[in-house]
Amino acid sequence: MVSPELEELTWLAVHGRGVINTAHSSQIALTLSNAGVAAGRDAFYYMRYDDSPERVQLPFIYYAVFGNPRIRVILPEEVEPVGSVFDTVAVLDSSLIVKSTSQRALLLDGAKRNAALVVNTSLKPSVILKLVRKYGCAQDWEGRIITLRAKKYNQNIALGMIGAITKAMEPLYSIDDVIESMVEVEGKTDSVDAVRSAYEEADSLKVSLKAEDCEQYNLKSSVGEVKSSMGTKRWWDREAYMILKERVANAPTYEQRIKSMPRWEEIAPALIEFGPRVSERNIGFKTSFARTFRPVIDKNKCIDCKLCYVFCPDGAIDFDPIKVNYEYCKGCGICARMCGSKAISMPHELKALEGLDEEEFLSIREALIEYAY
Amino acid sequence: MSKSSQVAVQKVVQKRRVWTGARSVAEAVKLADVDVIAAYPIRPYTGIMNALATMIAGGDFYAEYLVCDSEHSQFEVVKHASAVGARTFVGSSGTGLIYGSEAVIVTALGQLPVVGIVGCRSLDDPGNFGMEWNDAFLFRDVGWLMAWSKDPQEALEMTLIAYRIAEDSRVLLPHFVALDGAAITHIASPVTPPTKEQVTKFLPPYKPLHPLDPAYEVVSKAMHIAPSLIGPEQRKSLDAAMKRAKNIVIPEVWKAWGNMFGRDCSPFFEETQMEDADYAILSMGAYSRNVDYVVEKMRNSGIKVGSLRLKYLRPFPTEELARALDGVKGVGVVDFSYSLGSPGNGSVLYNEVRAALYESKQRPLIMDYIFAGGREMTLPELENSIQALIESVKKGSVDKPVRWVTVRGEDE
Repeated sequence: MVSPELEELTWLAVHGRGVINTAHSSQIALTLSNAGVAAGRDAFYYMRYDDSPERVQLPFIYYAVFGNPRIRVILPEEVEPVGSVFDTVAVLDSSLIVKSTSQRALLLDGAKRNAALVVNTSLKPSVILKLVRKYGCAQDWEGRIITLRAKKYNQNIALGMIGAITKAMEPLYSIDDVIESMVEVEGKTDSVDAVRSAYEEADSLKVSLKAEDCEQYNLKSSVGEVKSSMGTKRWWDREAYMILKERVANAPTYEQRIKSMPRWEEIAPALIEFGPRVSERNIGFKTSFARTFRPVIDKNKCIDCKLCYVFCPDGAIDFDPIKVNYEYCKGCGICARMCGSKAISMPHELKALEGLDEEEFLSIREALIEYAY
Repeated sequence: MSKSSQVAVQKVVQKRRVWTGARSVAEAVKLADVDVIAAYPIRPYTGIMNALATMIAGGDFYAEYLVCDSEHSQFEVVKHASAVGARTFVGSSGTGLIYGSEAVIVTALGQLPVVGIVGCRSLDDPGNFGMEWNDAFLFRDVGWLMAWSKDPQEALEMTLIAYRIAEDSRVLLPHFVALDGAAITHIASPVTPPTKEQVTKFLPPYKPLHPLDPAYEVVSKAMHIAPSLIGPEQRKSLDAAMKRAKNIVIPEVWKAWGNMFGRDCSPFFEETQMEDADYAILSMGAYSRNVDYVVEKMRNSGIKVGSLRLKYLRPFPTEELARALDGVKGVGVVDFSYSLGSPGNGSVLYNEVRAALYESKQRPLIMDYIFAGGREMTLPELENSIQALIESVKKGSVDKPVRWVTVRGEDE
């Protein structure tokens, strides 16, 4: 992304989901980049182009990069920044901690050893640490966790997050640089107080985590080398097709999936051979990363009318017995709305998995407003 | 407004901003005081229309902003608006642009100075939205001027320059400014925008020569008449306009722009390390930054290689290119397009360059690096490709002039 000779770059990754969060992230990246410029550094930011954040609920990552002090911008060498680069990882939606995005297997993939994690949540930093240990980390980590409930400061959660992220990035630029950039460049004088009080009040916790203690530690090491070629076999060979299909399906990370994709000799006309067969789901496009709320079927109330199966727009519900396939469910909530016997509830992911009460989104209705479904 | 506060405003405006290419084009549209904007969303150009809608809703400037039902309507709207004398702005990407193609072509034939943005995107299947030039290249033969910008800063400048060139009475042709999708549209970097006063001086309001106006009883252009009556003359008129654009207007306008900022603006090329180069890497658009980087790196290890960035595909600077490549032994063309079954089975830009150099006294060896299908160029692959060119020149011939770079699998 930037010239390898110029070291000492500072990276910020902002994880969010959906249309409204995109606007928040863009405001965060813009304000902080301008703060970096105000502090005499080069700065640039971009959104992962592979994400589809104009679509609802879908997760995305915004990157902001600061030079110390200069950057020479050249264009993406890889789809993702490679290696341990992030100094700060910010999360606008806490459900992203348990659910990997489509691009990164774990939340802290690519974070530096001393990275700071900033989360918009009502939960305590110690609870977040437990979640990260269980779902989001597979490396040594000696940084800190900063949490705040950004909505407390302003309905526009970007303002609170700008304050909290500034706390994490501090030696790079100061809160005064941020305020200056907001007032001078964007002309926003009325939102300065929210940023300053978020900066002062955000909870912070020093953390020390060993890679072996993380529950996802084995995820990376269990993956063997993936073969890049099938030798002389071609796409019209049914056996070759099965090899390819399995190879792509079994590669767990994004990077390995790309590597295990077919060579041009192996690709069928119009890629028809790689689409799903009758009664199969598309292995190449598991869409559960879009889910914040998950449908849970209460077997005692269910009368097996199959309405949820009929109305599920993603075919994520198995017919017999009625069961939600959480690899494909996007959490849109249509099944819960259609269910006549009220057998389907929609708890937040953190509630369903860990029994945690996240105040940030009490109901799916609030999430509707937050993400603009 | 008091004088002191005016000075303060000017100071703020000239400050460096961190903008995406989409945002900086929107700022250019605002500076150019465009009258009619027609929008329809498609990635990656959409960000421009988002930014413009925000500006108009916030009262920053006023323009007629129409959200159309498709790209076809989009280009129809600006075509008609331009015909009655409005300054217009439009844009699209990928297959969307192709859907509007009927109106795109007639806009040129009507000699209407519409400025459009192409956010370059792969033509579809399977759902590809990577960066590729084939969407813009489909319109290379129909009378639109086409320029490729390098970064958000140049995207802003090129949009303003495009209005001045297109609206010049010697040209009156529509103008595409191409922004490489993702690479420019989505990546924000520092931009120093010109002030409103500078832009007003550079770009006076559009005064059409022959507007459709009921007061003069001209309400329609004569399109629906016997095909042979004006068809050839109409096209010849575009041909003359295109030639005037290349020989007179484009150099003149870039010179004027450069003078305003005390810079040396070359109209057709940006040259890096080309003075004594034996090998030249020719590219367009955003990835020329990567080419420059690799070229400088190879220079440090003593290889005489230079980078030549082409700004205009139409009009193509034929003689200028031959002059710029004078004395060069090998040329590598970095191309984000393909032209299947074309001469040499190469890409579009490769064949353009080959045709342009056909009449040179000393024709250099030419290689084609095809980065097709929307995959990113990586620096090691680029460096390997340049090494292959150097080896071919030393040997005196090219075995495989066309390289599909980054493609998995061997050549057949």
